Amino acid sequence: MAAVEPVGSPGGDCGSADVAALIPLVRRIVASRVPDPATADDLVQETLTRVLAAAGRVEPGMLEPYAIVTARNVVTSMWRDQDRQRRHQHRVVDLRPPEAPDEDVLAREDRAAVAEALTRLSDRERATLLAHEVSGQDTRSLAAELGSTAGAVAAQLNRTRARLRVEYLLVSERVEPPTERCRPVLLAISSGDRRRQREVDAARHLLECGLCARLSEPLVGRGRSRDDAVRVAVRTDADVVAARQAAREVATRLGFSTTDVTLIATAVSEITRNIVRFADSGEVVVTELQEPRRGISIVARDAGPGIPDVDQALQDGYSTYHGLGLGLPGARRLMDEFAVVSETGRGTTVTMTKWRGEG
Amino acid sequence: MTRHEDPSATVAPTDVRHELDGEALLPQLVAHLREHRTRLRQEWVGRIQEAHLLQAMTAQEMSAETTLVYDNYVEVLETGSVEALQHYARDLSERIIPRGVETHEVVGIVLLLRDVLARSLFEKYQRDFALLNRVLDAYEPAANRIANTVAVSFVEERERVIRQQQDSIRELSTPVLPVRERLLILPIIGVLDRERARQLTVQLLGGIRTHRAKVVVVDITGVPDVDESVANHLVRTVDASRLMGASVIITGLSPEIAQTLVTIGVDLSKMNTIGDLQGGLEEAERLLGYAVSRDDGNGGP
Amino acid sequence: MNGGPRLFSILRQGPYLIASIHTALDDSQLVRFQQDLVERIGSDRARGVVIDVAALDVLDSFASRTLRDIGEMARLRGAVTVIVGIQPDVAFAMVELGMDTGRVVTALDLEEGLAELDSCLAAPPAPRT
Repeated sequence: MAAVEPVGSPGGDCGSADVAALIPLVRRIVASRVPDPATADDLVQETLTRVLAAAGRVEPGMLEPYAIVTARNVVTSMWRDQDRQRRHQHRVVDLRPPEAPDEDVLAREDRAAVAEALTRLSDRERATLLAHEVSGQDTRSLAAELGSTAGAVAAQLNRTRARLRVEYLLVSERVEPPTERCRPVLLAISSGDRRRQREVDAARHLLECGLCARLSEPLVGRGRSRDDAVRVAVRTDADVVAARQAAREVATRLGFSTTDVTLIATAVSEITRNIVRFADSGEVVVTELQEPRRGISIVARDAGPGIPDVDQALQDGYSTYHGLGLGLPGARRLMDEFAVVSETGRGTTVTMTKWRGEG
Repeated sequence: MTRHEDPSATVAPTDVRHELDGEALLPQLVAHLREHRTRLRQEWVGRIQEAHLLQAMTAQEMSAETTLVYDNYVEVLETGSVEALQHYARDLSERIIPRGVETHEVVGIVLLLRDVLARSLFEKYQRDFALLNRVLDAYEPAANRIANTVAVSFVEERERVIRQQQDSIRELSTPVLPVRERLLILPIIGVLDRERARQLTVQLLGGIRTHRAKVVVVDITGVPDVDESVANHLVRTVDASRLMGASVIITGLSPEIAQTLVTIGVDLSKMNTIGDLQGGLEEAERLLGYAVSRDDGNGGP
Repeated sequence: MNGGPRLFSILRQGPYLIASIHTALDDSQLVRFQQDLVERIGSDRARGVVIDVAALDVLDSFASRTLRDIGEMARLRGAVTVIVGIQPDVAFAMVELGMDTGRVVTALDLEEGLAELDSCLAAPPAPRT
């Protein structure tokens, strides 16, 4: 996968100004492949550094193509980078068509593989996944349509994504698993389900099966964080109740005591109400945590006016009856970890975590 | 500690030996019991099974334990060292108490062994009545002392285990005690940190509902270092109980500490504090006697 | 708001009103409950109100405040309010959150609540000791 290294005439007058002009293009290429903004930023930086370093060697007209190739290489090398495996997900879940006109064969193959992998899902799985990922329908409204619960839909989506990742890899490698056990093992690894992995004795199979050993590499460490999330769009009063019920459901599934479940639901109620009150809309994302131990994470974000003085709003003694009345100190007492990030005029994100007690 | 005050422990090892007369009966006797070890042990196991003792043990465990007990037993007869047996008895107790073996079973099997061995001695020496008498005179006191030692060690060990369990139970949960209808006592003993306060409160709230309590007496006599944070935990406990319709009386808070708490700014006004448990119970009775009287502050504006 | 199943009911029993909340209410439903109940206290000239919240799995700051407000408004209209049925976990969470029901009396359940009302209305409140 060695990139074509265009070698230009030395001493060209391409300066940093030309490289700066490439930023939007590089951003677009990277963003189309890397959904996580922080990672994308890193990669854009890296790409620009490389381009800048090579700028003197590149022919003036070739700078743009060079940047495109470099950006793609940077992204590809990240994919290979073990440490960044987790951020790999977009390869499978990013169903947006590539935007840059220069996206080449790789992208087309990618899409073909995803399309092929999609056909291997059941109709229902495919429909739900596409509704969620492409149309952006949230788990709660999907649940309402399917006569299920948001938690169950999220769990099903996780399984579907896990399957899709496995099928995608099989399609793109153009292989069929040699044994009956391969798919279950790959699936268990893809979904990050430790119990299932033990049940199918995944570790042993990976020792015996070369194909699975190879395919499992990009799958390891996936199926975490965003995969286990239940999302509730928040707009109205009723959504406050829906958000806390979703949290209640996930917390119960995680084995929290009824007391803790109530504490969590109450905290969610408090922070979700702020979205309805102060911002037009927002969302609450409830995530199961497995590492470093079992717990629940709740992120409530909005694009509202923001909180001018977060420290003040968090101060204990700012009771809910008086003062700012955001209920933040109260909610903080109910949880183990609590963080508020807010920018005036841009919005607020409250992140809170509760860990499961031992035993 | 009590272990060392046990009379059998203070008996000098030579005392056991002293019971046997000087005619070198002891080595003979021990040699006999060693020689017939397998048969005698099996006979003993048979008797244990007949008596339905040690049923919590598997056949393998039984075999292993009886072999050990048998060998120890004979060794004690030989050396006269009760200490070795005591040590073994404690060790045995530690292992089998968790499996629910009862005192009578342990005493039972040791007495059975004593009898099995006595019978075998009888068989061996029955033709010489005088010798038999001397053998039994030597054997019986020693055997009884062994049985005694095992029993005492077992009981002590059992008590220790129970005490330990009680301690850990107390650590884990303080009992919510229903004293009489509608009245609960929650004696808190030990350090009251945030986690424990939460635990106690949750437990108490459940108790209030289960027992339909109207009044709860929380006795904190056993809480060391009642400081601001402890007081704040208690305030929350009181508030939560009130939400479930129960009044809380705190007892065991000394006037000095109460004064100190108020000085550093803890609001004790919501807490009904009474010096001692007796006074607290009387106050509780009074509240319940009026049955319908409410604590103040709930009334008019 | 009137469509669908009733989320709460307000029944008259002698001089008292018994208001039961049947399911989790959102904020606007709680406000509606408050309005309806306060209105009924006036129209029925009720002397006492029992609010049964046993069906609520969460009493957050808004719900707590609403219950408090109802109690205050009822008081202004000459009625005593008793809140009953707060579940142990809910009571615990309320306290951790830093909420309470203010001066509004609480009781274990409906039966206790009615007994509480009887005693409140039979005797003037005991003087503070």
